[in-house]
Amino acid sequence: MKIVIIGNSVAAINAIEAIREKDKVSEIEVISDESYMAYSHPLLPNLVIGNISRSDKRFYYRSKDFYDKMNVKRVLGKKVVKIFSKNKYIALENNEKIEYDKLLITCGGTPFVPPMKGADLKEGVHTLTNIKAADKLKKDLPNIKKCVVIGGGLIGSKVAEKLAKYGIKVTLVELMKRVLFPVLDDTAADYVHKELKKDKVKLILEDSVVEIRGDKRPTEVVLSSGKTIDTDGVVVAVGVRPNLDFTKDSDIETNRGIVVDDYMQTNINNIYAAGDVAEAYDVIISAKRPVPVLPLAARQGRIAGLNIAESNIKYNGGFPMNSMSIGKVEFISMGIVDSEELEILKIEKDNEYRKFLIDNNRLVGMILVGNVERAGIFNWMIQNKFDVSWIKDTFLNSDFGWKYFDKAFRVLRLNRKIK
Amino acid sequence: MKIVKINEDNCVYCHLCEVACITEHSKSKDIIKAFKFEEKPIARCTVEFNYPVSFSSMCRHCDDAPCVEACQTGAMHRDERGCVVVDPDKCVGCWMCIMSCPYGIIKRDERREVWGLSTKCDLCPDREIPACVEACPNNALTFEEV
Repeated sequence: MKIVIIGNSVAAINAIEAIREKDKVSEIEVISDESYMAYSHPLLPNLVIGNISRSDKRFYYRSKDFYDKMNVKRVLGKKVVKIFSKNKYIALENNEKIEYDKLLITCGGTPFVPPMKGADLKEGVHTLTNIKAADKLKKDLPNIKKCVVIGGGLIGSKVAEKLAKYGIKVTLVELMKRVLFPVLDDTAADYVHKELKKDKVKLILEDSVVEIRGDKRPTEVVLSSGKTIDTDGVVVAVGVRPNLDFTKDSDIETNRGIVVDDYMQTNINNIYAAGDVAEAYDVIISAKRPVPVLPLAARQGRIAGLNIAESNIKYNGGFPMNSMSIGKVEFISMGIVDSEELEILKIEKDNEYRKFLIDNNRLVGMILVGNVERAGIFNWMIQNKFDVSWIKDTFLNSDFGWKYFDKAFRVLRLNRKIK
Repeated sequence: MKIVKINEDNCVYCHLCEVACITEHSKSKDIIKAFKFEEKPIARCTVEFNYPVSFSSMCRHCDDAPCVEACQTGAMHRDERGCVVVDPDKCVGCWMCIMSCPYGIIKRDERREVWGLSTKCDLCPDREIPACVEACPNNALTFEEV
């Protein structure tokens, strides 16, 4: 059997490991338009300012000998242009054909650049979702004294913080009323706002960039409010969207992402998808949607790999989850973080913030700022729709732990007798 | 595989498991040096107390470990013994493992210069029986197949 994987990041690597657990003989071929070993995307802002180098093994997701050990053929620096599912082959940019018996699509997301005049300037306008973009921005740093970062999401906030630490005068423009809008609520985002201000990042909220002005490179940006900001560089970090470039004209079903069933298979037999490109089941909203977070990419990749290797393992669904630090503030959040209808428990004390959102005695979301160490227990409760009616009163205790659980349950759970 | 079994009825919250763990994971493995003269390790086990309940808990070394899946650099991995361990030279302290650990037993060590370090039970690779189990005076921790 020949297994072809499009993409070479978290989902692909976990799929390879899963396939090789079950199947040592099938051919595996990985195709990627990037020419690098799988690397850690969250570290790209660090790479830009020289916090980490390309020779640091921390930057890479697996060791150098991974592909050889797994007996995987790599076709790197080549773009896939089309999938021919009836004849089971894919076409590359250079018209090369690659045949497959089973295909896994893990091509991730592409940065979304909102329509604005001047976004096509040749120099000084950047995104930051891969090594190439990071190298380009890094090379351009000597030309940037002032920078506008568009979008206060996970990448935008992080890159604003890092560029400011590097000594650049940063202005962060965010459309919503707070940074990290779907990840944090007002109270938690305020901690981040304060940290960014400490680093002298200028925050402009509820506004957006409509035009980037300049001849060769940016000289100023114009906001929808009419304000202008002088700048020598722009980083667009509005978000990423599933990369559907080559599935558009195929018979693979797509919505916002590539739609997959509970086994990570698409509507076409023997074609699977996983990671940021996939639209899989979300347990909180009880529907399919793309949730582009690393732990889910890993899990989906693993499940796709196991099923490609003739297992029959179900994906139980996931939900958004993020762990991040900006300046000295660390936070972890999951699921729904803001609501008018849900039961909410929250407490803010001594630079710690805890918030829990509960729907019908099931935990559906939470935020921890500061004291994040027990976050995973809440992750487990959300995933398993655990009945929290008898324990939710203890969630706000900063020493929350297993000691508050019912004894019989705790004894079985801690000794791995209950999943 | 064998992990540390928790027998909470036997626990008298003496914290000797934590003392043994700190000593075992210190540079010298000497109790006085570990506590007074070297950088004191963070205990990989945690004693919880809510009278009359008390017990020590540490990594359960899950078969399908969510912390390994969540790790962004591959620092969290399974070693030859089947234990889930952290490679300190790979860890960047992003705490995605903390976000994912269904037992909530991973701790943060934020004392390194650049990167934080995820800290958890490694079942004492240099010993036959983990230090916490050996130190427990009342079999509240035992080393058993699960």
